[in-house]
This record gives sequence, C-alpha cells and structure tokens, in this order.
Amino acid sequence: MADPKIIVFTCNWNAYNGLETAGAKHLGYSPAVIPLKVMCLGQISPGIILKAFENGAKGVLLLGCPPQACHFEFGNRRAEEVYAEAKSLTMLLGYREDQFRLDWLAAGDGQGFVDKVEYFMAGLSGRKGRS
Amino acid sequence: MNILQDLIKENRVWYCLDCGKCSSICPITRWETRQHTGPRLLVEKSIQGRGDDLMDDPLFWACLTCKRCTEICPSGVNFSEFVRGARNLARSFNRTGDCTHSEMIQTWGRMMTNPDMRQSRLTWVREDMKFSEDSDTIYFVGCIPYFDPLFAKIGMEGVKIAQAAVRVMNHLGIKPQVLADERCCGHDQLWEGDVETFQALARINIERFKATNAKRIVTTCSECVRTLKLDYPQYVGGHGMEVLHLSELLAQHGLSISEPSDDLPTTRVTYQDPCRLGRHLGIYDAPRQVIEGIGLELVEMERNRASSQCCGTSCWRACGQVSKGIQVERLQEAKATGAETLVTTCLKCQIHLKCAQNDPILGEKIAIEIRDLTTLVAERLTALSTKEFHEEVAIGDR
Repeated sequence: MADPKIIVFTCNWNAYNGLETAGAKHLGYSPAVIPLKVMCLGQISPGIILKAFENGAKGVLLLGCPPQACHFEFGNRRAEEVYAEAKSLTMLLGYREDQFRLDWLAAGDGQGFVDKVEYFMAGLSGRKGRS
Repeated sequence: MNILQDLIKENRVWYCLDCGKCSSICPITRWETRQHTGPRLLVEKSIQGRGDDLMDDPLFWACLTCKRCTEICPSGVNFSEFVRGARNLARSFNRTGDCTHSEMIQTWGRMMTNPDMRQSRLTWVREDMKFSEDSDTIYFVGCIPYFDPLFAKIGMEGVKIAQAAVRVMNHLGIKPQVLADERCCGHDQLWEGDVETFQALARINIERFKATNAKRIVTTCSECVRTLKLDYPQYVGGHGMEVLHLSELLAQHGLSISEPSDDLPTTRVTYQDPCRLGRHLGIYDAPRQVIEGIGLELVEMERNRASSQCCGTSCWRACGQVSKGIQVERLQEAKATGAETLVTTCLKCQIHLKCAQNDPILGEKIAIEIRDLTTLVAERLTALSTKEFHEEVAIGDR
C-alpha cells in the first residue's frame, strides 16, 4: 500500500495535550499518523481497534495517561484490559506484535509524542507487515 | 429473493391462522414489557406490506430464531427462516440490530473474508494431542480461540473445549486434522442478514475442506453443525462431507463408562438443549446418551427437548432486560431440578448463561455450575483412564 495509515488513539487529558504541544512547537512527524482523540482511553473497545485494522490501518497505537495520572482514576486500568483483549484478537488474526501497542504520554510532552510515534513506526517498518 | 412478498410465499407466512400459539410460546414476547409484540403481529405487519413497521418492531432483531414458534405452528409457518430473510432485506435499507460487544465479533467475521489472511489460531494445541494430516476427520474448531480471551473473565471454558475434544477423539482412536486457517462458519452473519459476508466465509471454508482428503467434519459447536450441514449447501454449494457434532460421534462409538470408581462420583446433571442442535437439527438423544454413557445421572428440566428454552440471545444482536429475563428463568429452572451441573453443547449457551450468573443480587439463586459436554467427557475419561492420560490432561490444562 502506497500510503500506510497509522491510527493513534489519544486520551483528551494527557496524550492529546502532548500532541497539541508538538503542533505548537512545530515538531514534525510522519503524515501517515492519523490521531483520534477520545475523552478517555478506557472508553474505547476492542471492536473499534479491530475496525481500524479492518479499514486498512497498518498499525494502531494507544496513547493514554501516565501511570497514576488518569483524569478519571480508573481509565488506565480499563485501557489495559481493553488492550489485553484486543491484543489477543489481533494476534489471532495474524497481526504482528508491534502493529498494536499501548503507551502513555505526559501532558505538554510534545517531543515525547514525536518520539513515541516515530519509535512505533520504526517498529512497523522493521519487517514487512500486513497492510 | 429479497422481496418481502417472496419471503412471505417461501416461508408459508400466508398460511398464518392468527391463532397466537407462537406469541404465547415466544420467549421474547413474554419478557418484552416495553411494547406489545409477538411473532403473530410481525406476520400480520408483513402480510399487510408494512415493511417499515416490521423492521422497527422490537422482536424483529431480538428474535432468537430458536424455532420454538415454528415447532408449534399448526400451519407450518417458517417464522425463523422468514426473520432471517427479512433481516437480509432490512440491511438493504441500512438497518441493523443493536451494536453489542462493540461489534468486534462482526468485525473479525468481515476481516476473515480476506482470503490472504494468515491467522495464528492454533495456539491452544498441546504436545500430547495427536493429529494426522491425512485423517478422514476434520475437527472444525470454530470461533473458540477468539471467544476465549473475551469471555475468560466470566469463566467460559474456551479453548479447554477444543483441547478436550481432541483428547476425547484421540481416546476413540481418531487423529483428527485441524485447519490452520479455517474461517468462522458464518452462522452469526447469516442470521443477522449479512448473507454476503456469510457466503464469502463459506466459500473459503469449503475450499479449505476440499483441499483435504477428509470425509467428515466434527465440531463442538451446535451453530457450526447447523451451518455446515444445512446452510453451506443451500447458500454456497455442497462440500460432500458428513457433518457431526462431537456428541453424535461419541454416541456412534457407544462411549460408555460402567465400572464404578472412587474418582468418579455420580453427579446429577441437567441438559440444556441448544436450539441449533435440538429444534434445528433434531439431535436430542445423542448428547443424552453420552451423558448417561459417562456415568452421570441426568435429570430433565421442566421444559426439555423440543420445548427447551433458548439461552436468550442469538447472533450477537440484541441483549438487555429481555435476554436477562430468559436466562435467569432458565437458570432457575435448571436449579430447581436439584442438579449440580448444567451441561450444554453450545458455546453461546455457556457464554450467555454464565454472563447472567454475574448478577450480584441474584447470586446464589441462579448459581449452578455450567459445563460443556466435551470437557465433562474428557474429565471423566481422565479420572478413569490410564495414569498416562491423566497426566497428559493435567499438563495440557492451560
């Protein structure tokens, strides 16, 4: 596929703020990245992640709040549960380990956003994956 | 097809006498308290050509297609098949049922229609299991590996069922083959009206079946049996293979454990007839023979065999107070028999009934162990058989 799509789900409170900071500082990152903001990462469900892959995403990255810093207190825990379920499903469906990851990002960490996204993409392009 | 008039003709809907037997027996109608509904009303709406009304009816997507009404209908109206066809029609008007489980089950079904997909679905296989690539028997695993991570939290047996099935077949001297890249059988897609996805899945599966030398397909899922046996030939084309539920295979082999053993207490169990295996295929005796064959005492629930009650949800469309009501009532019925275990032969029955048991208020009132027949058989064989078999099963236990 000429134009690989990477879906990055960011939570509203920390990770999205990091993304905005990256924008404000004019930090560049790959145009393949499509960020999607959700109020809390614990809100999304395995079905949404599978739909991203179904619609041709090459990778899905979940960016939430740092440990103990969830705006809703339990969102992080919920996100980990969703991640575990969705991970089992993507592995069964034949996607590679590095095509789907969960990570966190502190508010205001623009450089961190760029680094994490670039690191994820490097993992994807390391080997030939499913499109 | 795909026109309401044709569906009405095809499924004998014209013959409705308006007697209301279906509505009095329908599990949904009994629990749907928000709005008046019933199969008879749906039939009336469709005959009058009120397609919109029909598709907006709460029963339309909630219908379990359990065939209870079809069984009892004196005019032979095939309501279940009519609903199936009408749901396909509804999809062309962009209507679908409730979104449950974030649609992930439908999504992976659609993803599987990609013929190039390479799944890694055999992680449940253990070293002690014997397979043979030129076996005449295929063990069709179905969605078990996919449901396992999702429903482990409610105590669903998951891949243990597949593991037990292979061990039981090995015990009978059958070394089955499992397909590394089989697809979902498409049952849920077909019954929720997504015929296109169903056909795509079926074509891939049939192609995989034909690439083997097998003569029969054995599964542990009631829905897979129905779909492979009846719907593949009807919608896609025959595969020329015999399709058996594992309980039928065990009954054919006359599996029996008669010698008494200390390891083998006689447990009282009751059996939930899955609608697909029972009313759809008429297989009532085989699972019962197996239960008695492995030395368990079978007590029947008040409603059993052809009048058995469904587990409350089908094809992942609609789940709510109606489903819960059906499930709780069924669990209470099972408990009233005095049995310690409720045995079923359908994965979905187990998922739905176990989910209902999570109710913290009802708790003990509906608490009864729910097991798949396959794991129960493997457990009994383990307790009886050689020590070697015993150890193998213990090691293989996830």
